[in-house]
Amino acid sequence: MAESSEPQKIKLTVKTPKDKKDVEVPEEASIKELKEIVAEKFGTTAEQVCLIFAGKILKDQETLKGHNIKDGLTVHLVVKSGSVNRTTQETQSNVSSNTMSQPSVTPSRPTEQSPSSPFGIGGLGGLAGLSNMGLGSGNFMEMQQNMQREILSNPETLRNMMDNPLVQSLMSNPDYMRQILTSNPQMQQLLERHPEINHVMNNPELLRQTMEIARNPAMLQELMRSQDRALSNLESIPGGYSALQRMYRDIQEPMFNAAQEQFGGNPFAALVNNAGPLAGSANPQAGQENRAPLPNPWSGLSSTQFVYCRLMKQGVDTTIRSPGSSSETRTGGENRGPPNPTTPGISGMTGMMNSPGMQSLMQQIVDNPQLMQSMMNAPYVQSMFQQMGSNPQLAEQMILNNPLFASNPAMQDQMRTMLPTFMAQLNNPEIQNLVTNPQAMSAMMQIQQGMEQLRQVAPSFATTLGLGTIPPPLNPAPSTTPTSSDTTSTPTAPQPATTRPGSDAFSNMMASMLTSLAGQGGISGGSTQPPEERYRSQLEQLTAMGFINREANLQALIATFGDVNAAVERLLQNRPMI
Amino acid sequence: MGELQSALLLKKQLAELNKNPVEGFSAGLIEDSDIYRWEVLLIGPPDTLYEGGFFKAHIYFPKEYPLRPPKMKFITEIWHPNIEKNGDVCISILHEPGDDKWGYEKACERWLPIHTVETIMISVISMLADPNDQSPANVDAAKEWRENFPEFKRKVARCVRRSQEEML
Repeated sequence: MAESSEPQKIKLTVKTPKDKKDVEVPEEASIKELKEIVAEKFGTTAEQVCLIFAGKILKDQETLKGHNIKDGLTVHLVVKSGSVNRTTQETQSNVSSNTMSQPSVTPSRPTEQSPSSPFGIGGLGGLAGLSNMGLGSGNFMEMQQNMQREILSNPETLRNMMDNPLVQSLMSNPDYMRQILTSNPQMQQLLERHPEINHVMNNPELLRQTMEIARNPAMLQELMRSQDRALSNLESIPGGYSALQRMYRDIQEPMFNAAQEQFGGNPFAALVNNAGPLAGSANPQAGQENRAPLPNPWSGLSSTQFVYCRLMKQGVDTTIRSPGSSSETRTGGENRGPPNPTTPGISGMTGMMNSPGMQSLMQQIVDNPQLMQSMMNAPYVQSMFQQMGSNPQLAEQMILNNPLFASNPAMQDQMRTMLPTFMAQLNNPEIQNLVTNPQAMSAMMQIQQGMEQLRQVAPSFATTLGLGTIPPPLNPAPSTTPTSSDTTSTPTAPQPATTRPGSDAFSNMMASMLTSLAGQGGISGGSTQPPEERYRSQLEQLTAMGFINREANLQALIATFGDVNAAVERLLQNRPMI
Repeated sequence: MGELQSALLLKKQLAELNKNPVEGFSAGLIEDSDIYRWEVLLIGPPDTLYEGGFFKAHIYFPKEYPLRPPKMKFITEIWHPNIEKNGDVCISILHEPGDDKWGYEKACERWLPIHTVETIMISVISMLADPNDQSPANVDAAKEWRENFPEFKRKVARCVRRSQEEML
């Protein structure tokens, strides 16, 4: 090392359990020199510095070169304290860093999120469900909030409810509140997922505060005001305002009617039966009562509902994360809603699709390509596409659960075989663009009509094309416009309501979807995206895991529709054990 | 081919760990020429009995890595219910993949190809903080941990002290 003339500096990162700093040292420096520099930087003495690199403790007489320590690398630093009382001292100083050494710790900000769903968001569980489906940040989140607001501001019911002495006594009893909350299945799920929430539940003070807010009109007013901005945002999207109006009319009222039917005008009345034992001391059984679901305000459900429910369960996490506004105040407000209609809320989601209001909303969307387009461009729809693409089972289930296919096994089979292609199409940005482009849509419609004609004129030919038996004739009305977008976004948004004016419309949609897909295939001669392209990120993941046979990886991914976990499983099973 | 792949994977991990080291340990090779034999230095996790200690361990990777798990052995003497007296580490994620014939561990708790040196070390560090006395490798240590904790503590403290002396 004697031959070097001028010292070249290299930059090292020195890392302690608590922080890290960059130091510059001459390339040729000895460890002792490095220690002195580090000691100065960290405000300690060279004797107390212990440097570790590549699994070795660096000794004074060694050199950086000897350890192959180069520019940009990181060296661990442990500062030794006085030898005698080091343990106690460090225990204290290290408390904060403790979490860092156990990276498997908790998700962040649990308490803040937690209160957003006790009571299933004040009786709007189903609407909360909207955000479950990746709508978290979208306009629908706001719409939902606004609906809540509307319900909350329905003065009579609420005031009656809140002024009811029974309710007040219930609410001022944190024990009982806790029972109510924990008896809510959704809440239980939440607790399972986020054990930290227990802390909230066990904090009577916090619960009581929440209740207090709910009872305090001034606070509530404040809450309302903060929602106004959300409202105006929503209004600014084309057609959004009238959509909102409709939503209010068509959702708020049935919801309340349903709630009142069940509880005889007072949402808490059902509790009265139970209140006897409870009045004296909190009876642990009392909390059970709330489990009875509210009647579905909109009724007329189809089997697709189950898919929605499933989706919502999957999305629970998203909801918890979603609220942007101060969740504490919000909770206060939300608690004023009818107690615990979570479950019906979810089913209500489907019901909502069937409500005339939604249908007209859908009609409006159809008539207004611009609105359609902006909806398609909204982040949640995009994320929906992605979700659909990355979770083929979900899509499969959705399609198979559809009444149209439920009774038709042959059709189901066909659907299943078409699915991979379909999924691929969904992932294809081109298709997504296509859907947002009215011209493209009309072109699609033409293709579709052509196919339909072909099918009528030469049925056998059409069958060989892979179209199979296509259910009822398609109607070329504008309602076909949102076809593929509808399928894809079905579980997300109210859009799918177009599909609901009757099962006819839905079959139309499915049929036209099939047709358009087939049409696509016919034009471009197969899936537009080769599997390597489609599953590129998954392939990379597999390779990083050490599955080196690209061909096998690809096969596994294709077979599992791109599900990395399933692909790994498959690869491991197929591979002869070494 | 398989050999090459495992070496590549390990090299990648080593480079990454040197550039962005993970809290609590430092990793290198025993000999620079052999990528399959690693040397790691574990910094006793704060707030545990092992705090302040520097524990050297070797990790031996099979050529079939990541399809099969590496073995890990502490070189520094360490007293812990899940580390055998000879230093072999006994944690479920280092057990050969598949179902446990004794039914103690689920397949998902055992070795999976997704584990890296980093995840192994994180498991080991958390094991130091929180021993699993259900399946002790060092029965004496486990018994002591359960029944005579002060003595256990004393023994660990001695290990920590020795590990410090060894390093200097």
